Amino acid sequence: MVASGWLSRDTAIIAVPIVTLLFGILIGWLGQRSGFCSIGGFRDFFMFKHTRLLYGYLALIGGAFAGYLVFWLITPSAFENFFWLIGKGLMPVPGAPANLTVAAYIVLAIIGGIAVGLIGVLLGGCPLRQVVMTSEGNIKSLCFVIGMCIGAVVFAAWVSGWGVALLKGLGIA
Amino acid sequence: MIMAETRAKTEEHASCLDTLARNPLYVGLAIGILAALMQVLLISAGGPEAYGFCVACHTRDVVNDAVNSFAGTKLAIAAISQNAILPVMTVIGVLIGAFTSAKYYQEFKTKTGKPVSYVWYLLGGLFFMIFALFMGGCPYRIGLRIGYGDVVALIGLVAIVAGVLVGIKIATAMAEREE
Repeated sequence: MVASGWLSRDTAIIAVPIVTLLFGILIGWLGQRSGFCSIGGFRDFFMFKHTRLLYGYLALIGGAFAGYLVFWLITPSAFENFFWLIGKGLMPVPGAPANLTVAAYIVLAIIGGIAVGLIGVLLGGCPLRQVVMTSEGNIKSLCFVIGMCIGAVVFAAWVSGWGVALLKGLGIA
Repeated sequence: MIMAETRAKTEEHASCLDTLARNPLYVGLAIGILAALMQVLLISAGGPEAYGFCVACHTRDVVNDAVNSFAGTKLAIAAISQNAILPVMTVIGVLIGAFTSAKYYQEFKTKTGKPVSYVWYLLGGLFFMIFALFMGGCPYRIGLRIGYGDVVALIGLVAIVAGVLVGIKIATAMAEREE
């Protein structure tokens, strides 16, 4: 079964850049006004017991769940595997390197998560915050975003393959 | 007179909306709901699921698609970006939206740093992207995946929190050494 949403495939392939651009503009505006930051939320909570940003991130998870639930009730065909855990068990939603074992995905989530949290705290923000600060004129954040762009190419061209080979060599994948 | 009143009302209305926009709670809700709306609108173009908003993956799609076009490489991008006429433009939108807002509220200010800090941020961004892509998303997509019912994403979030705690320890130690 092919997943189908409100727009037909022919319309959707044209609408993808337009809709995502509009959503991005809205999120960028809101992100600039609120100083929204996921990693900053945890940092502020653990360092100063400030809950403002943390509640924002938790609201994102809640809002996503509520949104998926409501739209799934309206158009189930757009959310084939909602609620993921029931249909697919522990296998994660695709995104990380494909065709690995559950154990390998858990190892990647733990290593990746720790590194992401660590880098985010030391450099003062999650990627959304860095992109927003770039738009506010912060040159350091601009360097972070350029680094992300280089990282994307480096990952797809080399590091992804190395990581998978290492996991397979260790007998995890 | 009437015009002045109308203007006063629009300004009041705008500032009321701005109060909502300045509260991360509502912004978080809005991002989550927009991400679900993006999926119900566009999923026919291709997967993966729970892909409505991700700074790391969506940047990857734009950059790798551009590199593929110009250099003729076959770097991996998500199916939705592969099938569509152009990849997902969310991050470009965020840049435009945040810039417009910063200009509109006169909060745009060029901030420079030491040259060595640029190198650190460049490397930080590079490694951030690599580890985020190994995890299958930045903290935002991890949030969406948790909302979608993905347990591995929940493990990823716990790891992020652990990383944050380690980062706070390191930052505190570094600050104390400098004093």
